[in-house]
Amino acid sequence: MPPAEIWIDGLVQSCIYMTMAFGMVLVFSILGILNWAHGQFYMLGAFVVYYAITAAGIPFPISLLISGVVVGGLGMLVEKFVIERLTSPGYGMLYVTVATLALMFFFEGAAGMAFGLMDKGLSTVLPGVLDLGSFSVSYQKIAVIIFTLVIMISMYIVLNRTKVGLAIRAAAQEPVAASLYGISVGRVSLIVMGIGCALAAMAGGIMAPVYTTNPFMGRIPMIMSLLAIIIGGLGSLTGAIVGGIILGFLNSVIAYHLSYVSEFVLFLLVIIILLVRPQGLFGAPLK
Amino acid sequence: MKKWYNVVAILMATVIVLGIFAIGCAKTAPPQPGGPITINIGEPVALSGSAAPWGQIPTPFREAWFEVFNREGFQVGGKTYNIKLIQVDDQNTPEGGAAAAKQLVFGDKVRFIAGHWTWNFSAVAAVTNPAKVIFVTRTGAPDQLPASWGGLYDPKTMPYVVFGTPSQEEFTADCFALIKAYPNYKRLGLMDSVQSGVDSAGWRALKKELDAAGIRYHNEWFAVGTSDFTPYITRFAEAGCNLVFVAGWVGEFMLFSKQRWEMGYKDMKVGCSGPFVDINIYKAVCGPDAAQGLIGAYYDNSQFKETKVNPKYIAQCQEALRIAAEKTGKPYTYTGEIAWLPSHVLILVQAMQKAGTVDDTDAIMKAIRGGTFDTTIGKWTMSGEKTYGSAVVFGSPAPLCTIQGDKEVYLSEYPTKPLP
Repeated sequence: MPPAEIWIDGLVQSCIYMTMAFGMVLVFSILGILNWAHGQFYMLGAFVVYYAITAAGIPFPISLLISGVVVGGLGMLVEKFVIERLTSPGYGMLYVTVATLALMFFFEGAAGMAFGLMDKGLSTVLPGVLDLGSFSVSYQKIAVIIFTLVIMISMYIVLNRTKVGLAIRAAAQEPVAASLYGISVGRVSLIVMGIGCALAAMAGGIMAPVYTTNPFMGRIPMIMSLLAIIIGGLGSLTGAIVGGIILGFLNSVIAYHLSYVSEFVLFLLVIIILLVRPQGLFGAPLK
Repeated sequence: MKKWYNVVAILMATVIVLGIFAIGCAKTAPPQPGGPITINIGEPVALSGSAAPWGQIPTPFREAWFEVFNREGFQVGGKTYNIKLIQVDDQNTPEGGAAAAKQLVFGDKVRFIAGHWTWNFSAVAAVTNPAKVIFVTRTGAPDQLPASWGGLYDPKTMPYVVFGTPSQEEFTADCFALIKAYPNYKRLGLMDSVQSGVDSAGWRALKKELDAAGIRYHNEWFAVGTSDFTPYITRFAEAGCNLVFVAGWVGEFMLFSKQRWEMGYKDMKVGCSGPFVDINIYKAVCGPDAAQGLIGAYYDNSQFKETKVNPKYIAQCQEALRIAAEKTGKPYTYTGEIAWLPSHVLILVQAMQKAGTVDDTDAIMKAIRGGTFDTTIGKWTMSGEKTYGSAVVFGSPAPLCTIQGDKEVYLSEYPTKPLP
């Protein structure tokens, strides 16, 4: 049985994968695309938080909000000027895929040139640990768990208790019918892209003190959130949350037992899921 | 009319041919009498991509050292020579390495390549060896191991390769230096990325030496891109390791150090197989408390206790550090480069002096094999006849330091023994 510190580590991993996956699925459910640059919005959010704190002295919680707003705004620009054009008639999914892949490398290269390639740290944010007897947990990791709870509750409220949320759900289920009822699907797409990228950015921001910040930090979270939505079911918000939880704990526990082989095992598991239940745990059955 | 046309055409052709000839002569024309002759030395180095920081950080010291070295230059056959370093970005990839080597060898016409450390040895050697360009690099990466170990280095097909930095052997010596510093250790933890090859020939060679010395150890590998080392720290702790040596990149080392502190393993000492870049970076990532006691390589040759370094080279390096600090406007503490390019250059220079030539690379290689050279990190004899098939592997003091406050403080040293 893994020790408690492995389970807590798994919980922290779950929180981030869940948040990232949620944002990806939200975008997929409205725009019908997988945003391959999602990990780079995570990275950009981390850099916004880093510089907001170190250069401008802005407190961490406000820096997080700023990262969500700024990078969410960037996401909306990407949707408006890149994705919207490439999803119009005459183009196809391949164009959008290539475009978001290109953006992935573009953002990495731009971040490398603008911020440098050396790892940056924010150890002074929420320093210290909570001593729990045989092990301790850093306040930074506790903040990740609290942040995720707040985000999930906020998203639940927005999606289920607000007009915007109603519009988003309607557009996700039946975009044509929704537009007949006066819902601007284009505007909903813009908002959803903004929310999805903001979630990624704030996930990156909350992790900036936990890990290091560098232009390549978004790649692994992107891959892991993709695995999470495959496990949970592409297109299912509940699936994204459950998939993130499963993946986070699996990653930590398998690494504890099998060391570096954990990566191989995780991907093998995903392949098995795709073969046995391609719609994932909560996705709609394939036609 | 046609006659005049022909005359003009012939005149133009003559002018063009003479112009090309003049440009060709100008490129190879000797400098003005009385001044030193410049020899170009090439260096394929990572200046872009994820490894770029390691190519860029040494730049201020490197430039300063050549500035100091060229004040006197060196003499061969009664003539004075200076060195000009030509760096080409190799992006730390095989394709980049091959392209950089071609640019240096065929474009810049270098006869020597030095300071190389990136992971593209065989790609660079494939260009330099046929061109008879001496290639001074390091041991350690899987393709740089001897063919007899399963690597790609073969002295028969790569007769112009010199291992000026013994990274593989130094890693072993670093382990012994650690144990020397902490003789009451319980178990030594060793960790590396799978990229270096799980249980590769290099690792097996290391373990053989550790076993022979009776050192207790536990080995872990982590997947490339790992940021969360909690499972590995737990595994080390359960194996009884209170001293861990990390062979990964700096980011991974910093995260391991930070996370082990936060998990409560404050007594677990952590070292990395490379010099500290800048203590402030480690403090920013790990936290000021977690960064204390971290162990790294340390090439401040004025601090060596067991390896004697020529006072002239100590003074050169101290002057270069001072100039680098002046140019960057802040203290320059990265000592890693002292053991690298300047050391390689001094091997080449002394070999040229022994051989009495700056052009004949066969004669220079003959002087290098098995020769003794006085460098920035001590006087060493090239060895490795039995192990590598040719006596072209240099030595190292394998010095370590630890972070105390805001400074790196000498910890221990375990000079590498000449290879059989």
